[in-house]
Amino acid sequence: MGRLTSGRAGKKFLAVTGLFAMGVMLLLPIFVALPALAGGGGPAAGGPPPDVVAAQEAEGEGAEGEEAKVEIGRDVYYKTEGPAVGAPAPKTQDTAEFYPRYNFESRVLLWVANQQHLYYGSFVLAVPIFCMCIEFAGLLSKDKAMAKKYDQLAYDFIKISLTAYSLTAILGGILIFTFLTLYPAFFGYLSSIFRPVMHIYALMFVAESGTLYIYYYGWDKMKEGLLKWLHASMSVVLNVIGTVLMFLANSWIGFMMSPAGVDEQGRYLGNIWHVIHTALWNPLNVHRILGNMAFGGGVVAAYAAYRFLSAKNDEERAHYDWMGYIAMALGVAFLIPLPFAGYWLMREVYAYRQQMGITLMGGLLAWLFIIQATMIGILFLTTNYYLWQALGRMTGGERFQRYIKYFVFILVVGLLVFITPHTIVMTPAELKAMGGQQHPVLGNYGVMSAKNGGINAIIMTTIASFIWYQRGNRVPAVKWAKFGNIFLITFFVVAHLNNIWVACYGYFIPANVRIGLSVPQVAGTLSCLFFGSALNLAMLKQSRELGPIRWGQIAPRSQYALIMLATAFTWMMGLMGYIRSSVRLFWHVNEIMRDNSPWAYTHTIGFGANVISFNVLFFWITIMFVFWLGALGAKKAPVPATQPVPGAAPQPATGH
Amino acid sequence: MTWLKLVEGYMPMQMISELAGSILIFALANWALNRAGMGIPKFWAGVGVWIYIQLYLKYRIYPPIPFSVRAIYGTVSACGIFMWVSGSEDAWQEFKRPVMNVMDGISGFHKAVRTVSLIVIPLALGGFAYTSFLPSFEEPIELRTVHPAPPATTKVHGKTFVLQVVENPYRVNNEGKYDQAYTDARIVEQAMGRLMKDVNDPNYNPWDPNAEGYTKYVREGGEIFFQNCHFCHGDNLNGRGLWAYAFNPIPANFTDAGTIAQLQETFVFWRVSKGGIGLPGEGFPWASVMPPWEQHLTVDEIWKVVMFEYWHTGYYPRTWD
Repeated sequence: MGRLTSGRAGKKFLAVTGLFAMGVMLLLPIFVALPALAGGGGPAAGGPPPDVVAAQEAEGEGAEGEEAKVEIGRDVYYKTEGPAVGAPAPKTQDTAEFYPRYNFESRVLLWVANQQHLYYGSFVLAVPIFCMCIEFAGLLSKDKAMAKKYDQLAYDFIKISLTAYSLTAILGGILIFTFLTLYPAFFGYLSSIFRPVMHIYALMFVAESGTLYIYYYGWDKMKEGLLKWLHASMSVVLNVIGTVLMFLANSWIGFMMSPAGVDEQGRYLGNIWHVIHTALWNPLNVHRILGNMAFGGGVVAAYAAYRFLSAKNDEERAHYDWMGYIAMALGVAFLIPLPFAGYWLMREVYAYRQQMGITLMGGLLAWLFIIQATMIGILFLTTNYYLWQALGRMTGGERFQRYIKYFVFILVVGLLVFITPHTIVMTPAELKAMGGQQHPVLGNYGVMSAKNGGINAIIMTTIASFIWYQRGNRVPAVKWAKFGNIFLITFFVVAHLNNIWVACYGYFIPANVRIGLSVPQVAGTLSCLFFGSALNLAMLKQSRELGPIRWGQIAPRSQYALIMLATAFTWMMGLMGYIRSSVRLFWHVNEIMRDNSPWAYTHTIGFGANVISFNVLFFWITIMFVFWLGALGAKKAPVPATQPVPGAAPQPATGH
Repeated sequence: MTWLKLVEGYMPMQMISELAGSILIFALANWALNRAGMGIPKFWAGVGVWIYIQLYLKYRIYPPIPFSVRAIYGTVSACGIFMWVSGSEDAWQEFKRPVMNVMDGISGFHKAVRTVSLIVIPLALGGFAYTSFLPSFEEPIELRTVHPAPPATTKVHGKTFVLQVVENPYRVNNEGKYDQAYTDARIVEQAMGRLMKDVNDPNYNPWDPNAEGYTKYVREGGEIFFQNCHFCHGDNLNGRGLWAYAFNPIPANFTDAGTIAQLQETFVFWRVSKGGIGLPGEGFPWASVMPPWEQHLTVDEIWKVVMFEYWHTGYYPRTWD
């Protein structure tokens, strides 16, 4: 007996040591990526161009013996001085040397390749974060059935991500080949600037793959005890690597929009941290993390909806109904702060370059923001709709359904205000009838003060719908339930009134003060989110259950809503990527490297929308393939024939 | 029926309040009818609300709302009504019952409606497609960018101005120093019908003979405005000057919260100096007849007239702090 125990302990020790060593090795790239280590030395950019080299050599002949002079450049953003060790940005011309091409618009080809890689990249970076959260939820759960359920769900999530991961890598390769083939000069310049971290990026990818495979294939082997904790810890490592990967990729687009670390000619000044840490890097990082999470939640919810709709038995339906709900809730949890992160990004854009901000929000690209507002509205309305449908599978949920019409009214009015354009599309006859560019009634909805009011009203209503959902089949039984209910309702009413008041007041004060008014509006909304939800949960700690949740017994409309949610996420992501990229107008790297290709113009809205739609369609066709593969694997597993007890927690439909 | 008028300054909230009131009355009426056993079927309630909203937008709001906006509002309100009628399974079943009855042809009447629908709906769609493909002689719609992005710098009378940092040299306090807070306190009272805060005080009344500094510069700007600009932009600065309706689009309305109120003063300086012809392509330079005023006014005169426009409208220029 003693030997047996010591044998097991020895095995455990070996496993733990092995995993620890593996973790350290996988984390190595992060340490290597630290700027101090990554800075390197020596000339960047593969040396100056041949003509410059020749000129330098000619100059150098007469100065033999003297120390080689290094020119000092001034950082365009940080305004610090440094040795100009890199080559200047190439001055391109519309020739095959700089812009080789097929008989097709190169920009559109690159656009499609880039967007597809981004879709899959976002998905495979977001899903492991969900997995991590769900796996830890399972580990911390005291209820064994619930723990198993969470574990199965996390596994289901990562299973989808694994196939998508291969596609991400393939699309990344296609993207690099597209760059090299169609934009060699630009890609050469960019990779020369980022030379000190280029291989680190590649190594991070290797680390990410290794961790992901061990994480996935080791699921069964590491399912109990300390090993399970180690397994869960690997998900943390996986996400750290994934996040660093994304931050590095973001530094390239940050550099293209708001370059730093180079002088006016685009020469690298030897400080890689300046190149990475540009004016827009951090806002982009935050915005992309939240965006990826919302998008990933949407795609997994769509997967669950697909599996729900094609389910053959109640057990499967129950499981995928539950999975869809969790994915939707996670996605929306990150959708709610997304507009605030967006405001921060735009604020930084304005602070960096006024004309860039105006081009985005009031100028050339402003119409695309109206489309974006519409998409955001669709996302929130769909979320509410799903939650109202979900109330239908709860005994007692009907108590709330009679008030849906009032919520609909607030949502619709909020959305109408949010999407009303400031400059209206109209015929010349309508313009004359209206008497000016701005409508005296609706024109006021077109400015930021009203729009902030609109979106905050929508978000607060969505939070209220979530509170409804939490209460669906439960009635608070705490002693102070009546007081709590009154307080909660008053809190939401006051928050709405504050929102409306601030939105109106904004018209009577200067624009710069008005911008500050978004703070009390957001504060009201966030208070509803954190305080309202916390209070509600506290009230539900002691609650009377009116009946079970009938998982799987939800109207199919709800599942179509989930699919719509995911499609809207995808479309909006494509749109925002296009806007962010277009704002550079005719620059490859803003004010440093000019785009002299024949495609350095801004597309019409219609053309842009068509390419975005094509990208969305292409993504969904390929992701359907991924879903199908996931389902193919699942078919091998036996499906228990037993029917679940109505209302019981849904049991895993498949084994692994 | 003067009480039914849309009141200037409160119109946006008035419109929302009227719609909210109507919906509330509708809900109360429906509740009362249900209590009396004469409830309106959900299908007709939904259709009725939607039609009411369209009629309200078309006939209640003046000046008329362009079709593009009514189309947006119509679509969103239809989505909202769908969310309402299908929010719960019972409501959805009730809503679609008349449609299903027609589709199933449960009685002679329903069969007749089905037959008529099957003829009328394709014909209507065909007619719609046909008319939309007919050649039209209307001017095409232009998605005009009213506030195109300004350049980083602009050159006026040989001097380069960096638009992000330059300041109006006449926006000064009594000591002659740039002071936006000081000048903001002396603009007309916007909320009180654009009146001067104290006509007897030369610190507030630019036309007082003793006016000095900022207020004096405002008067000089006003004189330039009424000599050059008011023919188009109007003596109330609302874009309704004598010649306004000779142009398409009509001149900018400075009293609107969406024009100079949300722009930096340097933006307005650039626009006035360069005129319509100096707009970038995205700003449709061919759709503005404003002359490049740098050819007629000095730099100082342009700064003064810009300051007058802010003073008179009661707006503050946008700043970066």
